[in-house]
Amino acid sequence: MSQPAPHLHQGPTTRGTMLAAAGCLVPAVAWGVLVQGPGALAVLAVAAGASLACELAIGLAAWRRFTLADGSALLTGLLVGLSLPVYVPLFVPAVAAAFAVAVVKASFGGLGRNWMNPALGGRLFVTFSWPALLAVRPRPPAGWLRVPAGLTDGSLLGGSGQLGLVSTLLLALGGAYLLARRIAAWEVPASFAVSFALTVWALGGLPAGEGLFRGDLPAALATGGFALAAFFMATDPVTAPRGRAARLAFGAGCGLLCFLLRVYARRAEAPFLAVPLMNMLVPLLERPAARRGRK
Amino acid sequence: MKSRSGEFPRRLWGENPLVAYLVGLCPALAVSNRVANALLLAAVMLFALLGTGIASVALERLLPPRLRLPARLLLASALVSAAQRFLWALAPTLGAGLGIYLPLLAVNCLLLGSAGAGSVAEGVLEAAGRGAAFAAALASIALVREVLGAGRITLFPVGHFSGVVSLRGLPPARVLAAAPGAFFLLAYASALVRRRKRRVA
Amino acid sequence: MNRTRSFPRGGVRPPERKLATANLPIRKACIPAEVLLPLRQHAGAPAACLVRAGQSVAEGQPIGRAQGPLAADVHASIPGVVSEVREILLPDGTPSPAVLIALEGEFSRTGRTRRPEDWRELPRDQLLRRLEAAGVVGPNGVPAAAGLRAAGRAGLLVVNGVESEPYLTCGQRLLVEKAAEVLSGAAIAAFILGAGSVRVAVEADKPEALRAAVEAASAFGFEVSALETRYPLEEESLLMRSLAERKAGPGASGFAVLEVGTLLAIHEAVTLEQPQIERVVTVAGEAVRHPGNLKARLGTPLSALLEECGLRGPARVIAGGPMRGFAVDGMDAPLTKGMKGILALSRRERLPAVRTPCIGCGRCGEACPWGLRPDELYKWLEHGETAEALGRGLEACTECGCCAFVCPARIPLVQGLAAGKRRGAA
Repeated sequence: MSQPAPHLHQGPTTRGTMLAAAGCLVPAVAWGVLVQGPGALAVLAVAAGASLACELAIGLAAWRRFTLADGSALLTGLLVGLSLPVYVPLFVPAVAAAFAVAVVKASFGGLGRNWMNPALGGRLFVTFSWPALLAVRPRPPAGWLRVPAGLTDGSLLGGSGQLGLVSTLLLALGGAYLLARRIAAWEVPASFAVSFALTVWALGGLPAGEGLFRGDLPAALATGGFALAAFFMATDPVTAPRGRAARLAFGAGCGLLCFLLRVYARRAEAPFLAVPLMNMLVPLLERPAARRGRK
Repeated sequence: MKSRSGEFPRRLWGENPLVAYLVGLCPALAVSNRVANALLLAAVMLFALLGTGIASVALERLLPPRLRLPARLLLASALVSAAQRFLWALAPTLGAGLGIYLPLLAVNCLLLGSAGAGSVAEGVLEAAGRGAAFAAALASIALVREVLGAGRITLFPVGHFSGVVSLRGLPPARVLAAAPGAFFLLAYASALVRRRKRRVA
Repeated sequence: MNRTRSFPRGGVRPPERKLATANLPIRKACIPAEVLLPLRQHAGAPAACLVRAGQSVAEGQPIGRAQGPLAADVHASIPGVVSEVREILLPDGTPSPAVLIALEGEFSRTGRTRRPEDWRELPRDQLLRRLEAAGVVGPNGVPAAAGLRAAGRAGLLVVNGVESEPYLTCGQRLLVEKAAEVLSGAAIAAFILGAGSVRVAVEADKPEALRAAVEAASAFGFEVSALETRYPLEEESLLMRSLAERKAGPGASGFAVLEVGTLLAIHEAVTLEQPQIERVVTVAGEAVRHPGNLKARLGTPLSALLEECGLRGPARVIAGGPMRGFAVDGMDAPLTKGMKGILALSRRERLPAVRTPCIGCGRCGEACPWGLRPDELYKWLEHGETAEALGRGLEACTECGCCAFVCPARIPLVQGLAAGKRRGAA
């Protein structure tokens, strides 16, 4: 029997999923480039290029397969580029993207076999390898939009403040499209956002000695990294758990970790640390459902 | 019938205690941050292996079976302690660089030491082989770690030469200089060795 | 009539694509010059061949005798001369001996009206024997007589008028045009089973069929249930769950489910002593110019039926429905007892599937009506761990295809799970 049933299919293909996610990043990318200028484009281009080149090389050398068509390398590259500041030397996005594709994804077997979000893996590798180069440094943006110097922290996502808010909204818009088309599971960003918002609002004021329910919610939410992580990184189907309860727990855990890392540890890349930590716990989260399945 | 030239590299890497069998991970990962430390640890290990190897031949003949293992452990610990004292006396800074991982070697020597079943010559060869393999693996990992992770190569100071060779180039990646870097490199080295073994087999 | 919900979880809503054929009356297909009748149109072993090359056969004459359980007789669907008996491959890939008959001579049944007998005067055994003699087989390959015998005395008979696969409308049209005959078949089956009640399950969004069913059912005193359409509603246990009936099997207080086409054949077999030699089949798809429901002789080559409907350059021809049917390469595959549809899909309707590794989206698990995790089962089977897969519920899989339908990676899940089930059974 040559061609198996069913002969009809519904819903996007793998490539459709990846390209749709990449497409939903475009508004935020456009905004970032508008504000930060050609440097932003360079970072994105290098990241995407390195990711594609790496996957091509590994695919041909190790597996003898051309895997670029499934669009996942492109998406990884864009996410890596978007998560980095624009003032880094260009070898940083290249190494980040290469690490993401070669170590986090390919070394474990390629698409569908990695346990950690590849883009975040790459981002974290460069974060800990060259912390000085990535340190937040307010710089006058060189974009086409005349923006006063103090308003941005040099990241493609605009940092906190009004520019970051715009990035967040654009990313949320893209994310909403993914949710509407059921490309991303709604449970993860929803529980991520709710738990993060709740913890920040309720406990965010404590380190500053202001008591409960005094957290600075708008500032925390408006930082572009959160929206990127919640809608595009945590929702990665390969590394997020299956099943409604597991997904809700996953998102909630991400939110809680994100809160702790941002408010107590004062790390700017808190969402990018929270998601991989929760990725590690995914098998644990899926175990109750698996046990129920194994009657 | 394999040729001698192909046999040695195969045994060196294919049966390498560190890379193929992942023995002695704790000290290996810790001291591979500098080439000098790696070579020093490997030298001590070689010394201890040779000593236990030669002595095991006698122990095998003289002691009842139940006592052989504790005797070898005692012997290995004694040799390593002796080496440690030696280092403290002659090169305290280098010895301090190795720290706690030197005594930890004793257990690894126990694992890697030969059982003493054959002749003295065989014991010596086996110990030398294993020690050399360990040294080669550790030194290679240390080289990559230092070059990429710290931008220098640390060797032993001789005369005017301070022992440190600085390299210019991209800023060093701190992850490789720290423990995770060691894990990465060891993992890939191990994977490479296993892949070659599978291809040959 | 009462409204009930659908089955609790899983299932998919494929695009219906029934507009082209749903409102066209059933039309008679041309009698072919040659028919190729497989001797295995049922679940059991092939029937023993009763004829040889060169022999003349009459319309409706038995040409194959049932051998063993789950087997049925096969009858000549046209009068003629047997050209040869050869082995063919059925669309599902299994081999079967088949009798090739060339048309010749008079039709002894067609065109002659027979008065339908009153079956109520016949004893139960004779009813069953008439069904056996007619070789009536249901869509799942179980002969009607064998199924009714196995069911024993069941309390409830369900008329399965649900057709949730896209394109197929033959069941729907049968209800609209022949509801009385179908329900008469149901009455016969209910009598055989000693069933106290009969429920007719029809999809709620098929108003014409629903009306016809209600009208006919009132004459018989049957109850009609309108169900919300979702694939695979027509599967027996899902249908029973939707009807909110207890999950009991056949037996004293159990139930039996029969499909409308089978019931029509039962009615004709008992009242007219008509063997099963023709069936209504939906011929549809963008690649046919004049789709419709054809009443065609068994053994008609699919190519003949497709030509009659104006075939033009299909990307794929399917015997059966789009969710469970089999793709056919050679167009001389014949029409058989269980074939509900012949689909000629254009390239646009059937886009080629690019296979990628599993991305772990979990959609297959959400679509599975049995709550299985097809992605996990497939991975276990891929690694040869059949026992692990069986321990995770592989046997509950009915190969409905919902999982593969929604899979973005276009993994052949049904094929993989089916192969695993076969290995597990062996």
